[in-house]
Amino acid sequence: MGLDNVIAEALPDIITTRLDSLVNWARKSSLWPATFGLACCAIEMMATTDARHDLARFGSEVFRASPRQADVMIVSGRVSRKMAPVLRRIYDQMPEPKWVISMGACASTGGVFNNYALLQGVDKIVPVDVYIPGCPPRPEDLLNALMILQERIKAQGITPRQ
Amino acid sequence: MSDTGTVGQGITVTKTGEQGAFGGELLTINFGPHHPSTHGVLRLIVDLDGEQVRRLKPVIGYLHTGIEKQAEALRWQQVVVVTDRHDYLSPPINNLAYALAVEKLLGVEVPPRASALRVIMSELTRIASHLVWLGTSGIELGASTMLMYCFRERDTILDMNEEISGFRMHTSYIRPGGVMADATPRFLEMLDRFIDKMPSNVDEYEALLTMNPIFRSRTIGIGRLPAEDAKVLGATGPMLRGSGVAWDLRKTMPYSGYEKYDFEVATSDLCDCYGRYLVRIKEMREAVKILRQALDRLPDGPVNIDDRKVLPPPREELETSMEAVIHHFKLFTEGYSVPAGDAYVAVESGRGENGCYVVSDGTHKPRRVKFRSASFVNLQPLERMALNHMVADMVAIIGTADTVLGDVDR
Amino acid sequence: MIADSLIVDRGVSAGDAWITVAAGDVRQALSALKDAGYRLLVFLTCVDHLADASRNRGGAPEGLGPTGAQGGPPPYKSSRYELVYQLRNLETRDQLRVRAFLDGDPPRVDSTHDLFPPANWDERETYDMFGVVFTGHPDLTRILMPDDWVGHPLRRDYPVGGEAVEFSEEHETWQTAPEKA
Repeated sequence: MGLDNVIAEALPDIITTRLDSLVNWARKSSLWPATFGLACCAIEMMATTDARHDLARFGSEVFRASPRQADVMIVSGRVSRKMAPVLRRIYDQMPEPKWVISMGACASTGGVFNNYALLQGVDKIVPVDVYIPGCPPRPEDLLNALMILQERIKAQGITPRQ
Repeated sequence: MSDTGTVGQGITVTKTGEQGAFGGELLTINFGPHHPSTHGVLRLIVDLDGEQVRRLKPVIGYLHTGIEKQAEALRWQQVVVVTDRHDYLSPPINNLAYALAVEKLLGVEVPPRASALRVIMSELTRIASHLVWLGTSGIELGASTMLMYCFRERDTILDMNEEISGFRMHTSYIRPGGVMADATPRFLEMLDRFIDKMPSNVDEYEALLTMNPIFRSRTIGIGRLPAEDAKVLGATGPMLRGSGVAWDLRKTMPYSGYEKYDFEVATSDLCDCYGRYLVRIKEMREAVKILRQALDRLPDGPVNIDDRKVLPPPREELETSMEAVIHHFKLFTEGYSVPAGDAYVAVESGRGENGCYVVSDGTHKPRRVKFRSASFVNLQPLERMALNHMVADMVAIIGTADTVLGDVDR
Repeated sequence: MIADSLIVDRGVSAGDAWITVAAGDVRQALSALKDAGYRLLVFLTCVDHLADASRNRGGAPEGLGPTGAQGGPPPYKSSRYELVYQLRNLETRDQLRVRAFLDGDPPRVDSTHDLFPPANWDERETYDMFGVVFTGHPDLTRILMPDDWVGHPLRRDYPVGGEAVEFSEEHETWQTAPEKA
């Protein structure tokens, strides 16, 4: 019988919880993505917000054009060497805490394009939390990745990540 | 210019400190490459006089994927996979351009059923591509409902893609020598239902936009491109037809048996963003007409050419025929060789002339594959269209130019 | 159509009509063709024929031009770069491909951006990808690659790049092996 049960009996109007859990619950339930649509995957990312797949069920439908308002960057598509510095700058502009989903084979590994023009994996320039395979992945895959990310956020501490 | 002057010196930055008509200095601003209304990773450097556009310079290459280089490192049949990914809103049409070009070099012609299936996939893709355009352009001009409506139908088309090819977007369905597999009965059923339903859906879109006063005032008279300019600047597709020029490769230089279908070329004399909108709406209706004819008249027969040097033998033969095993082995270890020469084939995609120029040196890999992309050329009149318009109108102009940046940068 | 003196060679490849002109005559030939009705430049590109085995066979392949005096390929075909201009007459729907063979480092040719506006970006792309310098182009800068990029990626002696894939013989780093280049 923990302290929270004692409080719950004595003061039924009050909910007690750990600060970590409360903050993480708030964070995971409204992950606002930065619109980082690059290529084919961006179209499937848009499809994820449509009526059939309805990303809004997971609190992530608010795509922000400004990185300052975003929590998670969904890198959807191939990252060229010309785009890489832009991507890094946008990542740097996002406030902490921030997460990155690498959507699709190209963003994760370069995909079928093993050549001079593409960055062979976006993890070379930003830390990636969840990788999604597929070329492009189905919208369901993106939903799954988001749920995996939410689980990870729940398990995190609230101090800045190392 | 002497070729030592500015060669390799980077983007020519526009002049500053110049006086505008309203007494202030011209302001050079940077749009993109990561901007929500540029349909991808387009970057624009714009000189503004107050809110009016005085100069505009697109900077592209932010999605340069090296597709043409990659194609040279792949075998002829493997290149199909990368063709899917340059204009990622119309993969089967890209496949078709490449397949037709390779077939032209090989000197083979696909069976009628394959041609009909290619037409069906092309038209479905055209509708899907226009739907993405309509949804995103709608949302940029304030009609957020459009995205929901358009993606609803687009998902139906993607379901059909999945049924026929096993994949939602990048189907790689059309290949040199025919198509990947025959249409399943379920696909034909789905197609039939879709054709019946689609005209009423287009009515729905029109009810939302065609007479919508906000949409009309943001598009009518905006981004004018006179017919003569459009021709000179090389614009194709709805950009050209929206300026009243009835040029549609399906009619003027037919391929895959398009001459056998009865459809109208959608044109509009308005020459502005609204005209291009009307053209695309009409094209969706015409595409449904073509689909109906193609489905009703779908011929029977094989869907691939009967040439073991190009396409692998059927699975059953492998168990009984040594020759089949040899062909199979050769095709999957080395691939086929294409006679030396070059060929260019142009097809009409949702954006305009989507061509493929292939050069063979007689080996099992292409010497050169060049994609003549409609978006790359259609992006060049952007300055002409945006000049002296408000900066907010650029959203409508970029939107109705309907460029896919993957197609521009390749 | 255009003066025969400009045409070095003509033929049909896989059903597409083409002519070859000398590299120095490209502008003159295209200008004449434009006046003759070929008003649309569909595309302009370049092909790098470095170590192209099909050109050295006795007698050029069918559709790739007549053979030279000794039965070998005609002399201009030893040039490394082939410029390709695809022209179209919008009224008669005729198409014509104009070829020109170039050599040199960098290879140079006159710009045609004022004859055909779409050539502006095509020439920049060809400069970016092959290093062909178009003299007279107003803004010949890189268009697809970053401005500080070194090399011209679509040249055959430029490596495909990317990363090596273990246990894979498929990934060739070079299009044309460096020793041949």
